[in-house]
Amino acid sequence: MRIPIQVSNESREPIYYQVETQIKTLIVGGKLPPGTPLPSIRALASDLGCSVITTRRAYQNLEMNGFIQTIQGKGTFVREIKNNQISQSRQQILHDAFEKVVQQGKQMGCSSEELNVIFSNIVNKTFNNGGL
Amino acid sequence: MHALEVKDLSRSFRKFKIGPLNLTVEQGSITGLVGANGSGKTTFFRLLMKVLKKDSGQGKVFGKDWSKNEDEWKKQVGYAGELLSGYHFLTIRKLAKLISRWYPAWDHEQFEQLSRRYDIDLDEKYEKCSKGTKKKIDFILSLCHHPSLLLLDEPTAGVDIVSRRKMKEDILTFMEHEEKSVILATHTIDEVHQLCDEIKVLESGKIVHSFNKDDIYESWARIWVSELSDNLKHHPNVLKLETSPPQIVTNHRASIEAVLQTENLTVYQIHRLSLEEVLEYLIDYKKNAL
Repeated sequence: MRIPIQVSNESREPIYYQVETQIKTLIVGGKLPPGTPLPSIRALASDLGCSVITTRRAYQNLEMNGFIQTIQGKGTFVREIKNNQISQSRQQILHDAFEKVVQQGKQMGCSSEELNVIFSNIVNKTFNNGGL
Repeated sequence: MHALEVKDLSRSFRKFKIGPLNLTVEQGSITGLVGANGSGKTTFFRLLMKVLKKDSGQGKVFGKDWSKNEDEWKKQVGYAGELLSGYHFLTIRKLAKLISRWYPAWDHEQFEQLSRRYDIDLDEKYEKCSKGTKKKIDFILSLCHHPSLLLLDEPTAGVDIVSRRKMKEDILTFMEHEEKSVILATHTIDEVHQLCDEIKVLESGKIVHSFNKDDIYESWARIWVSELSDNLKHHPNVLKLETSPPQIVTNHRASIEAVLQTENLTVYQIHRLSLEEVLEYLIDYKKNAL
């Protein structure tokens, strides 16, 4: 059982955090519905090329925040999550993604006006095409 | 509890000295043993299994004194190495029968299932088998008494691609029980990448580097910068410099980033290093070549 996540070579974020965020994104986006079994920490570590310490930490954080549940002897599964939790996580994930882009823009010397123009262009283009 | 604790294990030979070696293996972890040919990986396993006598050193296997209780702790250890020397004229079936008598927990069903999985002809004599087939047989025989600690000495050397994949799968399945542990000596980057949690680098009989695999990803990096300042050029954590475009390889990203910040140098891009690149820096192949 494989889930579509990968560790970035360029990201400054620690691996456990990347894993945690990507699984959270898949769950919140409905790609991994409640009840979906997740790979074991050992299998996931093997897929990603990291140690089990890292995957265990990611799973522990996800479990603590109510996204997944480990059942002794059966494995780890996606949990039923509440609507307010979904919107909260969605905002957090988007906030982080925007932050990264803005910082990249700043590094390249973009002004805040420039960034705003690019942003509204993209929003316009995306939503005026019927949300495709 | 540790699966294995070794303290000051050493042995001198005429031209080679191994140790003093100190290492611990956590339960639930896979430790990769890497190093150039002749760095002492096999000698370490042989000392540990008492195929060779030590000069000095102590140890514990699952908390039990390694120098005593030999019969007891060996039941918990599976060694895929050259334990069967002297019996190579036997067929695989007879070898398995011989070995099964040493282990009360021997699982004959698993032996048959694995033999089918790896397509082993049980009526062939061990000595007549190819190098890769011998490796597969060693691997199977190390697993069938349900050990808690597996010692694998280059288990996939000479083994075909499909069987390699199966061995990787079987090691992962073995590790699904959280109290199990593996020490894996290997020259295959893929195996280190996909299987190991901890890595120990052996050189001339000594462990010269020891780390968690993820620390590599966090601290080793290639950094493209606007300019190579003198402080960067002479920094102990800069392992390599290239000028066009300006870039450095470091084994301690955080301290280099601090230098870059104080000197107001711009970072264009940071890449983590691949395991392969890092191991080439860590394993000094030349020293062993003489």
